[in-house]
Amino acid sequence: MLAVPCPLLNRPNFPVLSSSPDRLLLELCSIRVPGRSAPRLDDVSLQLRPGERVALVGPSGAGKSTLLAVANGLIRPEAGELFWNGAAPARSRRRRRLQQALIGTLWQDLRLIEELTVQQNLNAARLARWGWPRALLNLMLPVETAANTEVLARVDLSADLLEQPVTALSGGQRQRLALARLLRQDPLLLLADEPLAHLDPRLARDLLDLLLKQASGGRALLLSLHRPDLLAGFDRVVALRQGRVVLDAAPSGLTGQQLAALYRSEA
Amino acid sequence: MTATSAWSWRSLRLAPPLLPLLPVLAWLPVLLVLPGLSHGGGWDLIGQFAWAAFNPSLDPLVLGSLLSGLGITVGIALLGWALSLALGLLGGVLSSRTVWRTLIGSALPAELIRRLLAVPRAMHELLWGLLLLQLLGLQPVVAVLAITIPYAALVARVVSDLLDALPTQGLEALRLAGAPAAPALLTALGPALQPGVISYGGYRLECALRSATLLGVFGLGGLGTDLRLTLQSLQFSELWSGLWILLLVMLALEALLRALRQRWAMPARFGLTRRSVGRGGREVALGLVLLLPLLVLVAAALGVSPLQLGQLQPLPPFTADWPAVAALPWLSLIGSTLGLTLLAAALAVGSAPLLLLLLAPWPWGRVLIQAVWALGRLWPPPLTALLLLFVLQPGVLTAALALAFHNLGILGRLLLEAEESAPMQAEEALVAAGAGPRLALLYGRFSALARSYLAYGAYRADVILRETVVVGLVGAAGLGSLLLESLSSFAIDQLIALVAVYVLLTLMGEDLSDRLRRRLLAA
Repeated sequence: MLAVPCPLLNRPNFPVLSSSPDRLLLELCSIRVPGRSAPRLDDVSLQLRPGERVALVGPSGAGKSTLLAVANGLIRPEAGELFWNGAAPARSRRRRRLQQALIGTLWQDLRLIEELTVQQNLNAARLARWGWPRALLNLMLPVETAANTEVLARVDLSADLLEQPVTALSGGQRQRLALARLLRQDPLLLLADEPLAHLDPRLARDLLDLLLKQASGGRALLLSLHRPDLLAGFDRVVALRQGRVVLDAAPSGLTGQQLAALYRSEA
Repeated sequence: MTATSAWSWRSLRLAPPLLPLLPVLAWLPVLLVLPGLSHGGGWDLIGQFAWAAFNPSLDPLVLGSLLSGLGITVGIALLGWALSLALGLLGGVLSSRTVWRTLIGSALPAELIRRLLAVPRAMHELLWGLLLLQLLGLQPVVAVLAITIPYAALVARVVSDLLDALPTQGLEALRLAGAPAAPALLTALGPALQPGVISYGGYRLECALRSATLLGVFGLGGLGTDLRLTLQSLQFSELWSGLWILLLVMLALEALLRALRQRWAMPARFGLTRRSVGRGGREVALGLVLLLPLLVLVAAALGVSPLQLGQLQPLPPFTADWPAVAALPWLSLIGSTLGLTLLAAALAVGSAPLLLLLLAPWPWGRVLIQAVWALGRLWPPPLTALLLLFVLQPGVLTAALALAFHNLGILGRLLLEAEESAPMQAEEALVAAGAGPRLALLYGRFSALARSYLAYGAYRADVILRETVVVGLVGAAGLGSLLLESLSSFAIDQLIALVAVYVLLTLMGEDLSDRLRRRLLAA
């Protein structure tokens, strides 16, 4: 039931830069990532369609972060296949970069560039599409302020912050800036690695609502989280345990027992 | 979406990642002036020199002579380093404010000793070597002392800075509990001081090897002398045999020290990761115990003995013509020395990050820049200057290029070490979002490295000011040229004035670079 077979489609051998309702945005086929004692991911398959919002759950060490790192191309699996928007990762570096620009990640540790301003951080999300002159200009002058003001407004941050250093922001503001940077990248596939950890319940709900809202208009969201109380709003819940997919169901079909079994200690 | 806000020059602000690259603009005027300075006569010689790198001489006679030269150089470096470390530790404790405050309640003696130690520090080891040569004649002890004196003063400064930067709560608690001052100092500060001292001490050994080679270039014995003679007689194959041997020894030493730093968990020199107190105290102690008999053996083999210090050479009669000394073109001498320093520093500081940015993402790029930087480090600047004279006219620019190449090697390696130990997360995030490897490196890692790298660059500029004397032989290169000239013509009055000006200038430079460094690190 759980190992979704990879359909053998006629796949394009070039990056596809727009989404289509009948094309999978992310397709992982029998992915295996080795680990020290046991594999970090073992025979994992997963598909995401445009508009889908999928929650990735499982105990610590189940392989959620590894799966997201495979999905965004940071980890190359030992075995299995990966397709972004219907195409395999391109061999040419330039094409591969264009593909990666369509995948945005919200990191648990945010990964903001502390030494730069809010505006420069937002623009850093555009580096894949920019040439060197604009990338260098961004380190000297305010660049694309209107677009940055707009994404800041979408995450309820004031445009007054644009020229502030990241170090001057509060914890909540930083979290929103990281989301604004993701929006500025304008990806088709949104990946989020435990973005709600360390947030108070209200802030967590607000941020989650913002993220869920983004997965529309041909985009999809894959978000890992620890809290079963926040599963409302997702279309599917995929559970990992010891590097394997053990459950793939709609949240409404999930029982408390199933969730409890998922987090039960291995011993 | 691509609308860009109205720009004005007032809103121009350089972000941290651009700052380390800014000095590279110094290349623009250099490249403009360079064709005018080229005399083009020696390109075939440069070609022969480059070709010889792949055809070093394997003649057993040549290799035997080079190896014996290497033995002298390594011996001098080892003795000079060990003595400077011992004296420097003592000097460091004596010039520590914390120590004096604990002992007598006032830091005044520390301030006095610090000022006193600034003088030997301000003079380059070559200058010490040439002055001691006049006093003691040509013998290995001269080179050993030439390294010991300035290095001990440098180590003293670093040790006292390390000591004074340590938190004193533990010390105060011990004192309040009634512990006597000396044991309290040793217990509270000793262990915390150990990793920093050993890490810096290891670095000084690398420097000592370079200094011993340089002293050899000026005739004080060892491999440096062979290198200079082979270069001057255009025996490039023999020259490269010496260079390859030196490169192997230097890289082996660097690798050993790096492994020890990692094993004993000591702080990198300007890494971003501050490490905790080192372990392996027993291994360090054992190393020191083994080092002592080795040093005695080396001293015996080189014929270095403290008794030689008593055998002073008769000096020529001292005649002073102060009005003539005052009439020297001081302003232009100082100006060209400072110009040489700033130009060499800018070229070295700016080129290292630029090369890293351009070449590092290319698979063989890292290996290539590491090789070029290793050559830069080991190749003494006066020899680079002599080589440049094949194609360039003597002058400030030729001297600056020689100094820049050497310092690029040192700065580049430090930058690479820091880059490798800097956090990767921001860069990874940019790569995952599709940024190219160079832009990801610039935005992701240079941001974090920029200030500490520039702070080290400021320190390096201060070292370069001291080093200007070693390229004096290229001529027209400020105070250094005249200093070497007055040394060889026994113009003692001129020599005294030049050394005094040099010392003053270096102390001012040191103060300036200290302030700049503090500002950079505090920002």
